[in-house]
Amino acid sequence: MQTRAERVRHALIVVWTIAMVIFVYLPSVCITLASLTSSRYFLFPIKRWGFDWWTKTLDSIQIHQILETSILIAAAVTVIAVVLAFFGALAFARYDWRGRSWYQKAILLPIFFPQSVLGLALLLWFNALGLSLSWQTAVFAHLVWVVPVATLVIAIQVYSFDPALEEAAYDLGASRLQVLREVTLPVLLPGIFSGSLFAFLLSWGNFPLSLFTTGADTTVPEYLYAKMVAGYTPGVPVLGTISTIGAITLLLGGLLVMVFLNRRRRDGAG
Amino acid sequence: MAGQNGVILYLKGLTKTFSGHAAVDNIDLEIYEGELFTIVGPSGSGKTTLLRMLAGMEAPSAGDIILRGERINDIPANRRPTCMVFQSLALFPHKEVGANIEFSLKIRGVDKAARKRRALELMALLRLPEAYYRRSVTRISGGERQRVALARALAFDPEILFFDEPLSALDYKLRKTLEKELKDIHRETRKTFVYITHSLEEAMVMSDRIGVMRSGKLVQIGTPQEIYGTPNCRFVSEFIGDVNMLPVTTVAPGRLASKDIPGEIVAPPAANGPSEGFLVVRPEFVRFLSAPGEADNHVVGRLYNEYALGSRIQYQVRVGEQVFVVEKLRHEAFQGRLDQEVTIGWDAADSIVVADT
Amino acid sequence: MSSGLKTALPVIVFLLIGFAAPLLAVIGFSFMPPRTFTLDGEPTFENYVTIYDSTTYISLLWSLGLAAATVVILILICYPVAYGMVRVFGRWSSLVTILFVVPLFVSENVRLYGWLLFFIKNGVLLGTIKAFFDVDLESVLFTRGIILFGMVYVYLPFMLFPMTLGMSMVPNETREAALDLGASRWQVFREVELPLSMPGMVIGCLLTFVLAVGAIAEAKVLGGQQVIPIAHDIEIAFTYAQNWPLGAALSVLLMVVVATLVLLALRRFDLDRFLGRR
Repeated sequence: MQTRAERVRHALIVVWTIAMVIFVYLPSVCITLASLTSSRYFLFPIKRWGFDWWTKTLDSIQIHQILETSILIAAAVTVIAVVLAFFGALAFARYDWRGRSWYQKAILLPIFFPQSVLGLALLLWFNALGLSLSWQTAVFAHLVWVVPVATLVIAIQVYSFDPALEEAAYDLGASRLQVLREVTLPVLLPGIFSGSLFAFLLSWGNFPLSLFTTGADTTVPEYLYAKMVAGYTPGVPVLGTISTIGAITLLLGGLLVMVFLNRRRRDGAG
Repeated sequence: MAGQNGVILYLKGLTKTFSGHAAVDNIDLEIYEGELFTIVGPSGSGKTTLLRMLAGMEAPSAGDIILRGERINDIPANRRPTCMVFQSLALFPHKEVGANIEFSLKIRGVDKAARKRRALELMALLRLPEAYYRRSVTRISGGERQRVALARALAFDPEILFFDEPLSALDYKLRKTLEKELKDIHRETRKTFVYITHSLEEAMVMSDRIGVMRSGKLVQIGTPQEIYGTPNCRFVSEFIGDVNMLPVTTVAPGRLASKDIPGEIVAPPAANGPSEGFLVVRPEFVRFLSAPGEADNHVVGRLYNEYALGSRIQYQVRVGEQVFVVEKLRHEAFQGRLDQEVTIGWDAADSIVVADT
Repeated sequence: MSSGLKTALPVIVFLLIGFAAPLLAVIGFSFMPPRTFTLDGEPTFENYVTIYDSTTYISLLWSLGLAAATVVILILICYPVAYGMVRVFGRWSSLVTILFVVPLFVSENVRLYGWLLFFIKNGVLLGTIKAFFDVDLESVLFTRGIILFGMVYVYLPFMLFPMTLGMSMVPNETREAALDLGASRWQVFREVELPLSMPGMVIGCLLTFVLAVGAIAEAKVLGGQQVIPIAHDIEIAFTYAQNWPLGAALSVLLMVVVATLVLLALRRFDLDRFLGRR
């Protein structure tokens, strides 16, 4: 039962939230619009619509190379991060051990840290070690930030994991390895999947860390940035839109997979 | 009933200490084959730790666990011929009912057809419909989940089943139903069940024998009748809930005196009870008297309140500072008014003196 | 070795090499003579003195100030949305969450570029105004205000989600009990909602501030050269100026600020309750 004051308040909140959503998506809309003009300069309202710059961008070999670099880094980051984070999350949420609360706070430190400064620190570190910068150093740099995030994501799932499940499997005769394979991994699969998704997308879209640690290699955000500050090229909105659409597709796809997995589990399968 | 068969599990001096504190303190116990033995105790009494040691989840600090004459201390849980039903049941949420039940068989390499046969056999025993074989464990009722957990534990034919308070999270009605069901299943499978619970009432319904545990030690071991009728100390007497406890001292052979009760009390006939402690009289043995001489002992008090408990009615009678609890069956309800003066009494043979521990 | 320590070891080792070691290297370098590139020079405070003398610390102050302003603005902006997520939207909460989560995965400079296109001369905003009203306005780009705008935009999710989480930790029944006992809406807010949602608010403010203090893209893309944030100064020192020790010293200053805040806030934080409640 709501009073009139409450209903007004709730209506205002809804309006405000819608405004915020528009606020958040407006730039992406602008970029998509800008990618659809066939003229060389950006003039709004758009006089000449066309996909010219889309074809130019998609045909460009340089763009292909940059996309490949971004995907390669993101894939490497995902694989390594998930393995580390899986064990890290078990240590975070499942086991009771002496250094645990220190460990939990230590995990947070790379997250609660200005990324550009982290990137620069890693740049310094790589140079001091005499390492040359490439997509491989970028993978390492991304991992420093992504592993803690993935650990937290998987840990959230581990919190609701009943330790008795592992004990029961063990008691029923399974070896430690069988317990891991038959019980621990399958039950934690949603968390592992979310962790992977996060890892990939965060690496894909990362700018500050890539900027300082990729060296000669270039990721999509770096390339866009370089073009942005140099002056207007229509290729930028196109690539930006591609990057955005790619991320959104992956994210929504991932969400659908999660919903599907959960529904499958609920209705009895496997 | 119990005691006819040999000893299947023998605990000798079993102890578990955690940072200097003994959660399980030097326990000696014999459990007979085929019996349903329940360990009862309040939270913190050590019963869960004891069970986990028997199942192999915890290593004893001292003492031996001997199964059919063989010391099993060093055998890990996954190789003991025992199985535990956990408090949360620990059903695998990502596997169906059938896959859950078959788990121990799959681990042991039993082929698919044989596994399925065994699973359906167990499901029939536990009255789970065959259609549940492919059903997700998250879509069945609480009572059904219990039965799946039990079927899973029985699948590889363990010698002993351990139960860690499996019913404590259920509502009253379901608990009462399942208590009896578990006892029926025990009879049908003829296995040894070792059960722990904090409710003595539950233990009484199900068990062949009961061990009352407190602060790591077994205080009394006996059949339900023995525990109920002849508790050996105050702790065990109070464990079952409402009971009349009068602080008494012996003043003459066969005669006791209590603080709030005028006159002397006729002592119970048992010759070897303690000479001072508490006189225990169960509420159902105290009755309303129309004349003092109707029972061995009587007191006069005030009827303070009455509580309807389904098939029985409980009356609270205050005698000075002492509170008496009287129980009568519903159809024999006391006809009287609250605040009225009443005479209640009991026979000496229906009472017992226990030590103050 | 306990299971906990065993499973924690990979991550711990990794963070030692990838996080602790670089930061220690930075600290080490900050005490090296200017324009050197190794750690075996004579330790000196010269870099810190340079920062003070050459007023490079002004960029630090700007960054701190902008970050603080961002936090304050975001608290005000996000609160109604967080409130809505927990108490108003009901079934729609998941959808709203997804809507606000998606931008996190799109590169920040791409999204800032969108604002560039929006605010630039003949861009979406000004172009539309010109077309409809035939008025030629000045762009708000390349001002200090637009940098703050950009920062508020980028860091919005980092305030919103912890705040929402914090508010979801206030059980509805506790609120209702307070109302039932006679408290006014404002009193319920002050006595019940605010204290109980505090952990979330603290995390949100901390995360936002710490990330915003290292912001670099907003100033570069939207702000021209109006403000040089500290991260940019550090970058210049490391790259163009080829003065690693100076850059390291600037980094150390920033790290000190961040570390102090983080240690203070997280000291008595029970992460299990915060995350495990889910």
